Amino acid sequence: MMVEHPPTEEIIDENQTLWHTDRQPAGCSQCHRVYLVTPDYRGASCPLCRKGVLEAQPAHMRTAQPEQMLTFRVKRNDLLPTYKKFISGVWIKPEDFNPETLLRNTRPVFWPEWLVDSDVSGHWEMEAGFDYQVESAKEVYNNGRWESRKQIENRVRWEPRVGMINTRVENVITPALEEHENRQKMTEKYHLERGIGFDPALLGGAFLELPDIPPEDAWPLARPRVDKALAKTSSKAAGAQHFRNFSISASFSNQNWTEFFLPMYTTYYTDDDGQPQIVVVNGETGAIRGPRLASQKRGARIAKIIAAVAGGLFLLALLSLLLTMVIPPLGLIAGLLGLLGFGVSLFAIITAVWPGQWNRKQTGPRIAAKD
Amino acid sequence: MSDNTLQDTPWSPPQGYTQVESQVPGVVVFAPQPDRLEQDQAVSYDCPNCGANVAYDVSAGGVSCEYCGYAAPVTADRVGRNAEDFEFTLETLTQARQGWGTERQLLHCDSCGGELSLSEGALTTSCPFCASNQVNVITSQEETLRPRFLVPFKVKPEDTISLAKKWLGKGWFHPNELAENVVVQRFLGVYLPFWTFNAAVDARWRAEVGYQKTDRRYNARTKRWETRTRTVWKWENGRVHLDIDNLLVTGSAPNHISHHILHQLYPFNMDDLVAYRPDFLAGWNAQAFETTLTEAWETGKTTIRGKAKKACYQRIASNQVRNFTMSADFSDESWRYILLPVYLTAYRYEDKVFQVMVNGQTGIVAGSKPVAWWKIWLAIAACLAPGALLALIGLPLLLVGGIGIIAIALGIILFVIGVIIGFSLYNKARKSEES
Repeated sequence: MMVEHPPTEEIIDENQTLWHTDRQPAGCSQCHRVYLVTPDYRGASCPLCRKGVLEAQPAHMRTAQPEQMLTFRVKRNDLLPTYKKFISGVWIKPEDFNPETLLRNTRPVFWPEWLVDSDVSGHWEMEAGFDYQVESAKEVYNNGRWESRKQIENRVRWEPRVGMINTRVENVITPALEEHENRQKMTEKYHLERGIGFDPALLGGAFLELPDIPPEDAWPLARPRVDKALAKTSSKAAGAQHFRNFSISASFSNQNWTEFFLPMYTTYYTDDDGQPQIVVVNGETGAIRGPRLASQKRGARIAKIIAAVAGGLFLLALLSLLLTMVIPPLGLIAGLLGLLGFGVSLFAIITAVWPGQWNRKQTGPRIAAKD
Repeated sequence: MSDNTLQDTPWSPPQGYTQVESQVPGVVVFAPQPDRLEQDQAVSYDCPNCGANVAYDVSAGGVSCEYCGYAAPVTADRVGRNAEDFEFTLETLTQARQGWGTERQLLHCDSCGGELSLSEGALTTSCPFCASNQVNVITSQEETLRPRFLVPFKVKPEDTISLAKKWLGKGWFHPNELAENVVVQRFLGVYLPFWTFNAAVDARWRAEVGYQKTDRRYNARTKRWETRTRTVWKWENGRVHLDIDNLLVTGSAPNHISHHILHQLYPFNMDDLVAYRPDFLAGWNAQAFETTLTEAWETGKTTIRGKAKKACYQRIASNQVRNFTMSADFSDESWRYILLPVYLTAYRYEDKVFQVMVNGQTGIVAGSKPVAWWKIWLAIAACLAPGALLALIGLPLLLVGGIGIIAIALGIILFVIGVIIGFSLYNKARKSEES
């Protein structure tokens, strides 16, 4: 494999603006994610960790304008029903885990992927799969007569193919963030085919997250994706509908790396320990992901109150029991109060235990904490 | 996806690959060369030593020259039951429905340069100008519709007459000394076309099954215990799985070869299947199929349906069945087109022609034989006589008393048994004469 080195990045001064906009680089003091932000967002909290603040700093990045972007199709003000649905089902919530707070904390962010173009020259081999149909029989015997029913079944015939390729692959999507996989899980799928040419005017006030994997480091990640694109091209050339066991020996030259920015919203609420819990909304589809934590502290507090009520009921039951010596019918009331006290104490236990059990089930993807 | 290193040496496709059409500019595609059979060209069989005609010799197991003793063994892969089979693809079925067409194949004789034409359906011929043996396969657009496998002749031609004579001598209802009186002409060794079918069948059945139930009750009116038998009907269902392996269906038209006699030559041992080599056909006759794949498959399906129905009935614990329904789901259906060795001949007896065939692999003989009908009528009379006589004796005994009735009854029973045996004998004799 021969690879021509992709264009190197430049260091952008902290006061330098790009692409005829007022955007300047800023980094999070806590998680060290780097953004291009409008000046008014310098000093704001980091939209992805909500712990640190964004401080002016130089950035190591490509200065050429990005190639493509997807725009926000979901408006910020329309997120309230999404948040309500997201919260529903969580019984004992932290204080600020409510739709209004989530909406108030919502920030628009564009996150990057690389688009790789490259000339490819080499040779390949694969198993090409060709669709074909076979006829199968179903025979039915009824009323002394046979009836034949033909059934058509689709199958794939695998045949070896080899070949030479001399082409250019374009816009192969490649991770630009170390947390790419996790970010994809959080935002779920985008309709990448709806991508439009990058236009700074469409960024609005959104944070523009910068790649943290430079092209030279991203090539090993790009290679399997480029291979897959080449496999599809080779398969199409062979007239096949499927492929497997594709391998290629090739040289890659004349590479071009550009960014593709994808829209998302981030918001947060604070948990029992005062830690921000980040919730992410896909800016195109509205898919929402993030931890839905219950408050164990509130649970324990409520449980104590309920337990006190249960204790009072038990006391009353005991008192009634003593009074039965004087007024025998009170025995019935004593029994009922005892049962009620037992039920209320069970409820107290459930209230204390439930938040912990619920939180243990919250194992979905989360925005990665970074140092 | 591998990450191979690009070699400096110029790349070339592996041996046996050929360039095929690419649907994307900038991409060159190579595919394995089609597995063409050695059948496109007619093959002439002349002795490399003396130039005489050579043919496949069963004893030698190869091509040999009867004049100078030259012999060359035929090397062919013995594939047996693992011979490659083919699916019922829509493409093949469409081609199969179209058949061979009526195009006649023109051959150029390499020995003498003469042009000769093959009769329709023939795979081999001899050049009329130089008597050179020629083997060819009729051109088919579909590669798979050519014979790929065959079972070579194992029975030597010189043994066929003695086999036939032995077979003619069997059976009591044929003319006396048939084997001695009949002149059996030389047998003609022919490779006949057959289709073989494999399939897995899942059959489900449902039926009302009748069971005999006996009740014993006391009848107050007659003051006696009575036994009553009645049939109780129950709905039952079940499943049966059948694996059909190498079901043989002849590819010859019934007006050319008697299917009735051909079926009596079964079974052929498919373990002896070898990959097709024209050498096996040198000096022998061979026929291409006349019954198309689709027609043969319909015949095969009818046989398989019958087997599936029989298997379902075998699962039913009673003989009384009504409202029987079933379905048979076929899967993994596949087929082969093969050639099987058969010797054919005919003999004359009292101006009638009788066909005889010998299984060229196993030596089983089948055919039609004349019937000495006087023997049959005599045998039938012998079958009917005891019953008739006993009934006749019973008539005067009626005057004596009850014993006469017993004799008549026994006579009638014996007579009926005699009719059944006689009818069976008649049928057997009639079939023996049929070709």
